[in-house]
Amino acid sequence: MKKQLRLALNAGITFGLITIFLFLIGFTGTAGDLLGDLLRNKNADPFIGLTPQMLNMLIFLVLVGLWAGAYGSRKSKGQTDDPWAPALLGGLTTGLVQGVFVGCLALLVGTLNLQHVQISKYLSQLLPANIKLFLLGNSPVPGALIHLVLFTLSGLAGGFLSRGVGRGGWRSQSGPKWKNTWDGFTQRSFFKQVRGNRTTRNAVYGALLLVVFLVPLVAGQYWNYTIGTVGIYVLLGLGLNIVVGLAGLLDLGYVAFFAIGAYTMALLTAPAPHHLLWSFWIVLPIGVVIAAITGLLLGAPVLRMRGDYLAIVTLGFGEIIRILSASDVLTPFTGGPRGVPSVSGPTLFGKPFSSNIDFVYLIFLAVLLIIFVTNRLQNSRVGRAWEAMREDEIVSRAMGINTLTQKLLAFAIGAAFAGLGGALFASRNQFTGPEDFTLMVSINVVAVVIVGGMGNIPGVIAGALVLKGLPEVLRQLQDYRVLVFGALLVVMMLWRPAGIIPSSRRKMEVEKDTGVTETPEEGRGK
Amino acid sequence: MPSAKSPARRVTTYKIVQTVIGILFAGYLLWRLYIVFIGNPSYGADTWARFIIAGLILGSVYALIAIGYTLVYGILRMINFAHGDIMMIGAFGGYFTFEALNAIPSPTLADPKMNFVNAHPILSVIAAFIIGSSVAALCGYLLEKIAYRPLRGAPRLVPLISAIGASIFLENAAQLLFGTQRRQYANPVVLTRGNGWNLPIGGTTVILPYTGVLTVVLSILLMLGLYMLVMRTRLGRSMRAVAENKPVAALMGIDVDGVISRTFIISGALAGAAGVMWGIHLGLVYYYVGFLPGIKAFTAAVLGGIGSVPGAMLGGLFLGLVESLGPGVLGISFQLKDVIAFGILVLVLIFRPTGIVGEVLTEEKV
Repeated sequence: MKKQLRLALNAGITFGLITIFLFLIGFTGTAGDLLGDLLRNKNADPFIGLTPQMLNMLIFLVLVGLWAGAYGSRKSKGQTDDPWAPALLGGLTTGLVQGVFVGCLALLVGTLNLQHVQISKYLSQLLPANIKLFLLGNSPVPGALIHLVLFTLSGLAGGFLSRGVGRGGWRSQSGPKWKNTWDGFTQRSFFKQVRGNRTTRNAVYGALLLVVFLVPLVAGQYWNYTIGTVGIYVLLGLGLNIVVGLAGLLDLGYVAFFAIGAYTMALLTAPAPHHLLWSFWIVLPIGVVIAAITGLLLGAPVLRMRGDYLAIVTLGFGEIIRILSASDVLTPFTGGPRGVPSVSGPTLFGKPFSSNIDFVYLIFLAVLLIIFVTNRLQNSRVGRAWEAMREDEIVSRAMGINTLTQKLLAFAIGAAFAGLGGALFASRNQFTGPEDFTLMVSINVVAVVIVGGMGNIPGVIAGALVLKGLPEVLRQLQDYRVLVFGALLVVMMLWRPAGIIPSSRRKMEVEKDTGVTETPEEGRGK
Repeated sequence: MPSAKSPARRVTTYKIVQTVIGILFAGYLLWRLYIVFIGNPSYGADTWARFIIAGLILGSVYALIAIGYTLVYGILRMINFAHGDIMMIGAFGGYFTFEALNAIPSPTLADPKMNFVNAHPILSVIAAFIIGSSVAALCGYLLEKIAYRPLRGAPRLVPLISAIGASIFLENAAQLLFGTQRRQYANPVVLTRGNGWNLPIGGTTVILPYTGVLTVVLSILLMLGLYMLVMRTRLGRSMRAVAENKPVAALMGIDVDGVISRTFIISGALAGAAGVMWGIHLGLVYYYVGFLPGIKAFTAAVLGGIGSVPGAMLGGLFLGLVESLGPGVLGISFQLKDVIAFGILVLVLIFRPTGIVGEVLTEEKV
């Protein structure tokens, strides 16, 4: 009982603080709006004096409260029986604590607002309208009491639900049950056949490819732009996958090669700084080659160091290239902070590429080519050398692998892919400027590789879809996109360090490493 | 067996290349120094004095942040990428303290415009430092507990990526909470930015700002305090033991997790103090204010030999000076001062990853 109370207290404090944070960043209102879109009740009549907006926010808060209650009433570790009383008490305590936290906040904010203190000067989301919404149009004291009661009740309900659904049953059994269902699904003969049999597998891939190729025809201009961006991130992700996923070198300055590809395309085809006006098809391979050469040049001195030092040095390189391209010093050569406008697109059989659809198909082709190359590389002698090097550099050297050459090769090939992506990017946007090449791009690409699954082609595609595609679908959450992105990186590392679709070997490695907590020597640098 | 022979030979060619580049670079530097000071002096002594003052102040802030990197790296062999953002949070803590104290009218004085900050400037500056440091220390503690502790023993990339995620999270949380505008620190009138002692140098006067002196003196005091803490106290001894060898330290009865937590608290507090200094001296805080100082302080830590506390102090001061003197000496645009910092980072990591002080790093550590 005492243990349960402590669990509930902790859960209440945690969830109380989380709720306060969500309110302070203005998420409670946004979530309400989102629910309004989902329930289509935006123009409904007020219900017991509450506008639909308030009602939707309340629904969101109740959901948070239910979750808190369920979390606070969970069984402690090693507990076998699951009686009613502690579960309900736990839910109630959690809800009460959370309610006290949120109620105090509501009281404070409401009182300040009544005295016409301009809170939004300091906390930008606390505009009077938002505060009024949070207090449900009431004055501070009843508003705070409503929150207290609301969270207490929803906490209790959360405890009741988590304990009560399928009495005695689901809390103890749901975990294994779901796992069994999932395993049953993956072990079923059809699924196995698809995975194992070459013909069926190719047929499935072919069907997928056909669908993917048909999508741009029905999608509009905006969606094709988004699909193109996702495609470019797949390219970048596959390139970085070779460096990070296969060779195990963390490169935080990957954007430098992307920028080099883009600037090559821009400077050689645009009329502005140099008036060269070369053809797209000639410049494309030039961009790739220049990026690869830069990869070699940067890689040669840097690749001797390992792990996090390499990450920071490459980050430094990336920033140097961005600052140089943005500075006045190189303005006559690179267009300076204002970038290079009117980069020309490709023409094929006399027809210029104008719409986003053309570029989507061009990017698709590039992605297919890169997937093919990556696949062949991965299963070649070189790919095996990379993976051996990632697992253990010293042993791989003892096996006769020239690690420096292999690292340089990985770096150059990764850079070449990024150069291709950059050239396509500049050509599609018809513009290139230093703003396109911030550190955030590098981090995005690293995240695509890691969230998707290191060293794994479908994983990278999934990562690009999740990280670049999903935020476009949820446009209302745009303000919170980067915040969620940061949190996602942490959460992925905590819960699924091998990625959404982990490569089998990588998964083994991560699980093995995290399984042993007290290794005598920290493990060798990876 | 080509691989048996070639590494040895490659190392020697590498060393030759390294020496040649080093000599060329040193020659270029000497040549520039000659031009700038004797051949064709572009700045007078007063300008150089201004550069040096600015560099020392900036350097002492970098040094404080760098100590945090060094402490954490020494113990966990991990780059705490979010350290700069902890400094940003400390800066906001100080900002809000000043705002709150400015809103309190002082009843003891007849002048109704006189508020608490101007009536008790010393007290309010101390309050700002204490609150800024505590908020940052709390943030560091929570960061370690949530984002790093569960990853102990994972491959090295995993905590680094978690740290990057935490850094992005903190920056954007601050952006959503406090908005995107740059906020002006409301210093006490005594410490108005730009006020200071006038030093007669080279025919004109050079201002030695009060805020700058406060920054340098306070950061030296804090660094001395930290040095005493690490060298003389029980906690410092256990920190050094944990840095040396965790399992053995645990066998000796040291609470390893507790020591790591306290390390994060200490480094967070120092970063928070650095953030308040940044605010008092340079005046502007916003959500992204911690990023560049963070990276530069990491450079400073590497420069001084990561893992070594005196190294971080020296590295910080050196980097601050180089950053403010560099564009003048090399004769390039001041826009490129960040390139100098990053360039030094790259060069040091390539040619001397053990830093100036030269802590011996085994292959495993690098």
